Amino acid sequence: MTGLNRILRRGRTGDRGAYWFILPYVIFFCAFVAYPLIFSFVLVFHRWNIVTPMEWIGLKNFDRLIGDALFYRSVLNTLTFLIIHIPLQVVVALALALLLNSGVRGRGLFRALYFLPVVVSGVAVTILWQQIYSFDYGILNNILHAAGIPSVPWLVDPRVAMPSIAIMATWKNVGIYIVLFLVGLQNIPRELYEAANLDGAGTFKQFRYVTLPMLNPTVVVIVVLSTIGGFSLFIEPYVLTGGGPMQSTLSGMLYIYNQAFSFGHMGYAATLGFVYALVILGVVVLQRRMIEQDVSS
Amino acid sequence: MKSALKYAALLAGAVVFAYPFLWMLAGSLKPELEIASLNLLSGNFSLQSYAQVLLKIPIARAFLNSIIVSAVTTASVVFFGSMVGYALARLRFLGKKMLYTLILFTMTIPFQIVLIPQYILMVKLGWTDTYLALVAPAMMSAFGIILFRQFFMAIPQALIDAARIDGCSELMILFRIIWPLSRPVIITVALLTFMSNWNEVLWPLMVVREQSLMTMPQLVTIFTTGGQAETQLGYLLAAATLLSLPVVIAYAFFQRYFIESMASSGLKG
Amino acid sequence: MDVNSCVRLFLPAALCAAALVAGCNEREGSSPRAPRPVVLTYWPAPNPQEILLADTLVRVWNRLHPEILVEMQPIPVSISTEEVLLAAIAGKTTPDVCSNIWPGALHDYTQSGGLVRLDAFPDFDSVMSLRTPRELLERFRVADGHFYEVPWKTNPLMMFYNRRLFHEAGVLDVPSTYGGYLAAAEKVVTHRYEGGTPDVWMGDRDVRPIWWQRLFDFYPFYIAASGGRTLLAAGQPSFGDSSAAGVFEFFRQCYGRKYFPRTYFQGGDPFLLEKKATHFSGPWEVAAIRKFAPQMDFGVAPVPVPDDHHGPVYTYGDYKDISIFSTTTHPKEAWEFVKFLVTAQHDLLLLRICDQIPVRGDLLENPLFAAYFRENPAMTGFARQAVYTRGMDDAPDLKEIFDAIAQEYESCAVYGRVSARDAIREAVGRTNLIVEWNR
Repeated sequence: MTGLNRILRRGRTGDRGAYWFILPYVIFFCAFVAYPLIFSFVLVFHRWNIVTPMEWIGLKNFDRLIGDALFYRSVLNTLTFLIIHIPLQVVVALALALLLNSGVRGRGLFRALYFLPVVVSGVAVTILWQQIYSFDYGILNNILHAAGIPSVPWLVDPRVAMPSIAIMATWKNVGIYIVLFLVGLQNIPRELYEAANLDGAGTFKQFRYVTLPMLNPTVVVIVVLSTIGGFSLFIEPYVLTGGGPMQSTLSGMLYIYNQAFSFGHMGYAATLGFVYALVILGVVVLQRRMIEQDVSS
Repeated sequence: MKSALKYAALLAGAVVFAYPFLWMLAGSLKPELEIASLNLLSGNFSLQSYAQVLLKIPIARAFLNSIIVSAVTTASVVFFGSMVGYALARLRFLGKKMLYTLILFTMTIPFQIVLIPQYILMVKLGWTDTYLALVAPAMMSAFGIILFRQFFMAIPQALIDAARIDGCSELMILFRIIWPLSRPVIITVALLTFMSNWNEVLWPLMVVREQSLMTMPQLVTIFTTGGQAETQLGYLLAAATLLSLPVVIAYAFFQRYFIESMASSGLKG
Repeated sequence: MDVNSCVRLFLPAALCAAALVAGCNEREGSSPRAPRPVVLTYWPAPNPQEILLADTLVRVWNRLHPEILVEMQPIPVSISTEEVLLAAIAGKTTPDVCSNIWPGALHDYTQSGGLVRLDAFPDFDSVMSLRTPRELLERFRVADGHFYEVPWKTNPLMMFYNRRLFHEAGVLDVPSTYGGYLAAAEKVVTHRYEGGTPDVWMGDRDVRPIWWQRLFDFYPFYIAASGGRTLLAAGQPSFGDSSAAGVFEFFRQCYGRKYFPRTYFQGGDPFLLEKKATHFSGPWEVAAIRKFAPQMDFGVAPVPVPDDHHGPVYTYGDYKDISIFSTTTHPKEAWEFVKFLVTAQHDLLLLRICDQIPVRGDLLENPLFAAYFRENPAMTGFARQAVYTRGMDDAPDLKEIFDAIAQEYESCAVYGRVSARDAIREAVGRTNLIVEWNR
């Protein structure tokens, strides 16, 4: 009877216990999401190195950002990274997923191996690739040398360094996307292929008109995840190149870190973070539009 | 013929993904001059590089720090995340819709924007160079909450009603009735949280400067960039191997969980 | 080797030295009826030699001054000392005394009110005039007209060269100008050439655009070429002239003609392995050579200057100074301890244990130091050079200005993509942007 009463009471005022359930999150939200967000709006109008008193400088930070060649450079670098990384990621992941999905033996073992770099710490992977890319004695140049091909200045040529990092990032993350494609492939109804078969479509046509369109949602996910990942690029250039050669691998995150911690410009670093956030949102919205258009056309 | 080609391609892929790790392991055991060789074997294997790394940096302590930080954050994300997820899925209260929207909104905020203010908050609270700075901002995750909510939505209402009539409190319902049914989602959230905290390096670099409090990836990063490795390749590879080993061992045993968790995170993220 | 094991290793030696200096008066130290002592915290640099020195000095001090106990604690190992100190000022956890103050970061410390004004102590002038030449001391006066640091030690950047490699390549005179250096480099590099890459390089520098790396190539060369100028004059960039561009052009030649490698060496310090003929470094290198390459026949000379250079050759002196933090509750006692750290006796200990040059005018005249320089002739050159050194400007954002220079150095010198003149113009432009923003 009391149980029934309680349920009835709930009907009107809601569950009283519920507030205790959400209270910890509300506190957490205020401290670590809302406060930093609000504070970042304050910071962008200040010059401050934490130690000295905060100094109001109006729009000077934005003024500086507009004239800051390194800011544009870092955005450009990130876009360079994405333009290489995203297509490479999609093509390699899709190719390996199709291979794995074609009824081969040892599928689990191969999948596990391809996934291995995903779980290993990015720092370890970066140290490893530092040796792979090394000019004089790296694995890659050793292999090229054995094949009679001249060495490639992977990390020391300003035109090659960012593509090198993009290749490394693809190697590190492609495992996730293989698995995503595998899930996507398994969700395609067999009837579609059977119907296509009846219509006389060959393997390639089946791939083009059945598989690819059905995988479109997966591609959207991959593109968005890679984009966000690309804008958070930090440890790879931090360890491998320090942003060089000739600023060609200076990523947005690395520039923020340098401004904040090497130069003590908290206000300017916050301004950079703020503008990068806008750029990221802009790029993601643009991508969504482009891909959605692609689907509808 | 065609299937031979397929296997050749798959094997080539396997070599591309696995050989570098084997080379890293071999290099960490070889004397400096033999490291550049592509050959994985050598007659001169020794643990010299490891001994040097252990001597130069407190990596055992860093391992412990990483375990502490990752374990505490994981426990917290699962505990509080399931509570909020349960409230959102199964309880009625004022502002529920708003809270749900808010949580979804936090997932879309690029972290670049809050990073510096969060760091300053740590300084103001005097938490830099403490475990608190490493743990507190990671104690809850919007993503974990959403995963829990989605899973809890699918649990039959009858089960919960029955428990309520039996006089169970909501907390008891969550931990006695719901949790035992939610193994998959708990494993997913726990694994993802543990892995992301274990591998996190930017945040520790910002808030911890004392060597004895550094996490493993941070310590190895500083070892690499800070010149303590004296440009000895073997030391670097040994440090990288020590950093990878715990995760690779865990992966070897729970490979299926790793892959499934990561896949589900990708699909919903 | 990590710091702790080093301390353990050196401790017996340190105790002996301490006993010697203190005159073996072991029993006086711990009288149980003494009043509650003042306790000071002292942070030395976290390298093994300086920890050993600090440990030795603190033991002596505590024996002589039971009423003022000093606790030594090396600066926490971290990315950089400056970051640690700034964080400590922010968190009000600074020590009473620190002996690893880099003048380049002094501006941040003084602006935040983190340091005690030293010339407020009545005997500051008399103590300093005994040790440091007036002209040199004046360079440590900050913009508000006061002193916040005691110039403690300097590490003049000089050119080490390998006599055997020079000799084998037929280089007879030690190069002192850009022209001489490049000509010597040609001989050294082509002398032994294997498979397209030189077996021996003329030199090498970390090519990554890390700001402080430029303290070991561009900056000393610029100070030398400009006859002792620093980067700023009255808060404005003053390096937009031909001497800075000349330095860029010089390094551009070094990389362009493949006298310097563009990648890193692996497998140890190439100078110690006798894989490169010259090396720009400070006195600490002498100890490293003694330890790791005792067989090497080396010499030390001032850094090369433009061919038409006249007058003394200045260089960058990597200064590390002593300051008292304003969190101290016992400034007088702290000042007593600071004075204790810089007595002639203890400057000798600094030389002996750390092989670093105390900032004092009488190194080569005072008989106290004669034995040391007789035993370590290589150090005489540094002692002579020490008078002709420059430190850093008293300005905010020096690091970022150096970063701007490092970026342009990379494009111009290392990769040869930009002419020296354009690169310097770019660096000056960015420096203006930085200075302007900070006004």
